Amino acid sequence: MLYSRREILLVLAAAGVCRAQELGGMASRGVKPQPRGKPSGLPFHARFTDIAARAGLRHPVIYGPPDRMDYILESMGCGVAFLDYDNDGWLDIFLLSGTRREGPVEGATNRLYKNNRDGTFTDVTQAAGLLRQGWACGVTVADYNNDGFEDLFITAWPQNILYRNNGDGTFTDVTQAAGLLHLGNRWGTGCTWVDYDRDGRLDLFVSNYLVFDFDKIPPTGKDPRCNFKGVPVNCGPRGLVPERPMLYHNNGDGTFTDVTERSGIGAVTPGFGLTAVAADLDSDGWQEIYVACDSTPSMLFHNRGDGTFAERGMQSGLAVNEDGNEQAGMGVAIGDFDTDGRLGVLKTHFCEDTVALYRNVGRLDFDDVTVRSGLGVETRYVSWGNGIVDLDNDGLPDLFWVTGSVFPEVEQKHPEFAHKTPRVLFRNLGGGRFEELLDAAGPAIAEPHTSRGVAFGDFDNDGDIDILIMNINEPPSLLRNDLVGGAHWLKVKLVGTRSNLSAVGAVVIAAYGGRRQAQAVLAASGYLSCGDKRLHFGLGEASTVDLEIAWPSGSREQLKGVRADQLVTVKEGAGIIRQERFGA
Amino acid sequence: MIRTVAASLLLVAGACLAHTQQSSVEAHFGRGTQLMQDHLYEAAANEFEEALALDPAEPRARFQYAVCLITLGRNDDARSQFEQVRKQTGDSRYVTYYLGRLDLLASDFPSAIKKLASLAQDPPFPDTPFYLGVAYISAGDLRAGTKWLERAARLTPRDYRVHYRLARAYSSAGREQDADREYALYSQFQNEHKNTEDAARACTEALRTQPQSAAREVCYRMFDPNDPEKLTLLGQLLGDGGAYTLALDPLQRAVGLDPNSFAAWHDLGLTYFRLQRYADARAPLEKAVALRPAFYGSVVLLGGTLYMLGDDDAALPVLERALRLNPSDAETAAVVEKLRAAHAKK
Repeated sequence: MLYSRREILLVLAAAGVCRAQELGGMASRGVKPQPRGKPSGLPFHARFTDIAARAGLRHPVIYGPPDRMDYILESMGCGVAFLDYDNDGWLDIFLLSGTRREGPVEGATNRLYKNNRDGTFTDVTQAAGLLRQGWACGVTVADYNNDGFEDLFITAWPQNILYRNNGDGTFTDVTQAAGLLHLGNRWGTGCTWVDYDRDGRLDLFVSNYLVFDFDKIPPTGKDPRCNFKGVPVNCGPRGLVPERPMLYHNNGDGTFTDVTERSGIGAVTPGFGLTAVAADLDSDGWQEIYVACDSTPSMLFHNRGDGTFAERGMQSGLAVNEDGNEQAGMGVAIGDFDTDGRLGVLKTHFCEDTVALYRNVGRLDFDDVTVRSGLGVETRYVSWGNGIVDLDNDGLPDLFWVTGSVFPEVEQKHPEFAHKTPRVLFRNLGGGRFEELLDAAGPAIAEPHTSRGVAFGDFDNDGDIDILIMNINEPPSLLRNDLVGGAHWLKVKLVGTRSNLSAVGAVVIAAYGGRRQAQAVLAASGYLSCGDKRLHFGLGEASTVDLEIAWPSGSREQLKGVRADQLVTVKEGAGIIRQERFGA
Repeated sequence: MIRTVAASLLLVAGACLAHTQQSSVEAHFGRGTQLMQDHLYEAAANEFEEALALDPAEPRARFQYAVCLITLGRNDDARSQFEQVRKQTGDSRYVTYYLGRLDLLASDFPSAIKKLASLAQDPPFPDTPFYLGVAYISAGDLRAGTKWLERAARLTPRDYRVHYRLARAYSSAGREQDADREYALYSQFQNEHKNTEDAARACTEALRTQPQSAAREVCYRMFDPNDPEKLTLLGQLLGDGGAYTLALDPLQRAVGLDPNSFAAWHDLGLTYFRLQRYADARAPLEKAVALRPAFYGSVVLLGGTLYMLGDDDAALPVLERALRLNPSDAETAAVVEKLRAAHAKK
């Protein structure tokens, strides 16, 4: 229920300073959850089990002290990635890591795990040359130099890092050589590869959160204004200085040029930028860049097609919620949840607020359909990495996100604001409605953690989507999807020729069973994370599917009657070049 | 002296409602109303439920209960309660308004439009055209939606939600210039809203930590001679901080600009009362009680004021009414008893 302005003023006046400080530095609206309707009673065929320990993912992801979050940097956590760094057709895992202010922590490093193709992974971090301790935040994965191997760009405080994949199982830090070292300290957060000028080379977009300095920001308890529900907590983001995002143009020779100003990206009012995602949201063949901003209006950079962008967040409806209130944007998922052939958006926020689900109505115009979709029932958790993914292969993309508090101190006084909280899964009922599944999708959904990044991908190549999750100061979770029911599916791997080799920015529309579902090849999504670039379509009962592919170069391709239950590799201009049946 | 003590007791009673349970419909209703005023909707709903348990045919309690339920997000329950009120009392603009909003929340846009449009000539609340506009746009009728949002912008020109929705509507219609104008207004009023929140926080802090003269400077950063809501807030903050004399000017300006502002009249009366200027307190409190007859805080203050002025004949029925709204108020009960005794002696 929204208060009128007068009522808000009265509340403020009545409650005085206590009420005014109640929400700390985060945008939250005190939203009460909508009532839950009667359960649909429909079976959900996906069931998730956390097999991380069994799979060999046992190292905790260090991020700040084990029991406190004195600084906002310690509370924000980091992303994760599914990638295939050795091109063996099996998804490997890359986990970012933080550290502790007090000093280096043994074993706290970004980690690369190679997929052993038997449900387990081997830590190859050292051999790959990726050992590194620091405050890593986001990751974007793609082949920026078109040499056939996926590279890694990592945002971090105080300096970002570019790792080139050498193609022999090792990586080289080429940040300086690429011209990506920046002066001074900066807190890079969201990042995504994007071929914004369609020259076939992946450029790089980086969002920055805020100006951070351990010595200049008061820690928890040292500033009475930094307070949540009457409990002293870490300060920010409100009250701290927001930063602008940056855009780097790929020169094609291994170096990049800062085009932030020239492209118009630098003209934006600074905001507390977090996850950045690039996708062609208006279907004009040029990729937009959307940035979830924390407690400031989120930004949508409309690609004008001439090397410049115009910030159109407000005009598109993606900056704020339907009543014009800014929200604490954390994670962004892009997907076609209403199977109308257009890419919609799911953005996660703080507790006592809903997530935001935006329906794409065309011409870069989005409707906030959060409440009417049934998502208003869940407002309990601080929400982070997310996805619009068909978890049960019924042909209707579901919604998933992870949660976890940023204020561990609060739960002692207010147990309802727990530090560790469960995952959230809304199954798609069709007709624009969703239903939250509290315990119908396996024990791993209800398990409480303080989670941040999430990546989606089929790590065991069994035709369904599994989930990789970053948990602060715990080992990650790897949720294996044990799907039953026999619904059909199709995976599509794209290889660019005129386009960038990773085909980042391509959009595939799959037509099946009377539906048209769009998916984009993304180099980043969720919260500061990156998922499987093989597009996965659940098909329900449909056994064939027609595909329309819009390549980032501008070329288009159609494939009719593609059989279900396989991975097809499509090369730009050459059609299907490979078909694989998993397990065969 | 006795009167002074009694007045102080009444003031305390007016400021903080005792929570001792008393079982009468009027008592629960009064407590519920007070709790709603304090935005304690869950507790208020409990009070109205108690009232309805005693008298299920009490439509006022059922109506307020339903309003609480909407605020608590219990939309289906709220609908059922409003329907019962309608059965008991016949059609009412207020019930239709809330049922229309419930239809909107349930995405039943045709029904929302039907209900809210029926109120268009004589809207029960100023935001009726806003919700009607939203319903039309949600139903896909951009033209009608825009028309009603434009009307909403005229009725509530400082509501940033209206300007945001209107800007989005113009954008969708390709009216970019109009959209840009509305985005600018949205931005202006939303910034004002945020600035007001920040200023209120700073003012409260200054009143707590600095001498009044220094705090005044901080607080007057939010002074806007043309905005009655901001003026009322400024007066409330100054009053809450003990700067009663300073609070008078903004509150007087507020009632001048918006004579229908219950909050401004109540706070002006309260401030005069706190300054023991009872003759000056009377008219604002009478106005406040006229605007919100069931608000215990205003009623008891008015009764106390009349009592302090020595107008016992006028004070008695007002204090009796206050006591019906809050029978657990022992201090008021004592004064009432005394006045009744004196009246009987005459």
